[in-house]
Amino acid sequence: MFECKDIAEEASNYLDGDLPLGKRIGLFLHIVICSCCREYLQQIKQTISTVATIKPQERHSTDTQALAEKLRALSKGEP
Amino acid sequence: MKKNAPPEQLDEKGLIAKLIDGDAAAFEFVVNQYHSTMLSVARAIIGDAFADEVVQEAWVSAIKALPRFEGRASLKTWLLQITSNGAKTRLRRESRQLSLDDGWQAEPDSKFDHRGHRIDDVLPWNIDTPEALLENEQLRSVIETAYQKLPPQQRAVLTMYDMGGMEMTEICNILDLSASNARVLLHRARTTLHHSIEKYQES
Repeated sequence: MFECKDIAEEASNYLDGDLPLGKRIGLFLHIVICSCCREYLQQIKQTISTVATIKPQERHSTDTQALAEKLRALSKGEP
Repeated sequence: MKKNAPPEQLDEKGLIAKLIDGDAAAFEFVVNQYHSTMLSVARAIIGDAFADEVVQEAWVSAIKALPRFEGRASLKTWLLQITSNGAKTRLRRESRQLSLDDGWQAEPDSKFDHRGHRIDDVLPWNIDTPEALLENEQLRSVIETAYQKLPPQQRAVLTMYDMGGMEMTEICNILDLSASNARVLLHRARTTLHHSIEKYQES
């Protein structure tokens, strides 16, 4: 029998459909009876769509405009 | 396809043609589009110290090789593969074992009773639509900070899978990870971001 803790650990694999059938059904049966876990899975989905929307970037100090210009010059064989 | 269309409206073939042509806007577009993800890959493989250098070198190799780009993979995958190869070469033989048995937990034990049931309710979020989120500066900065604090491998998998829509097999290949390790890293990254949003919602 699967519990809330199992849902918390397997939430990504469950949402991404990357689980063996038996486990998937077991988790599903828990989710059907547990509103907390339904809410938790919903929040993980929202987390994924939020990060995909916000698209955070790596922290870096590269001047991307200067890099683009350097690469353009390189491609044209300019010094 | 219009010849003078801005780079973001071009298909990949058109974009590559513009790059080979030496079009400044096209160069700016690809650097802005891919530099951060290339840095994620390099940092995941070699760590922070050499990552910048590896990415700069990857850009130079890619631009030199561009006329021979055959389009078998997408431009993004190709750039990430070049970055990954450069980082791995740089890493040489230094062994890098990913330990997954480090006591990590999706949620702290204190949230569950002895049978694994949640003790408290999971409260619904009062979260905006994805469009409105872009306007929410505070949440944006909470997520950005949490993202930047993620361990590099988690950040790289999340960036390519959830933000870049890449296939897990491609990601495993680029980062040299097994599928199960990549899945674990992805879930850890998502869980950390979930916690940061949860905290923001509670405050």
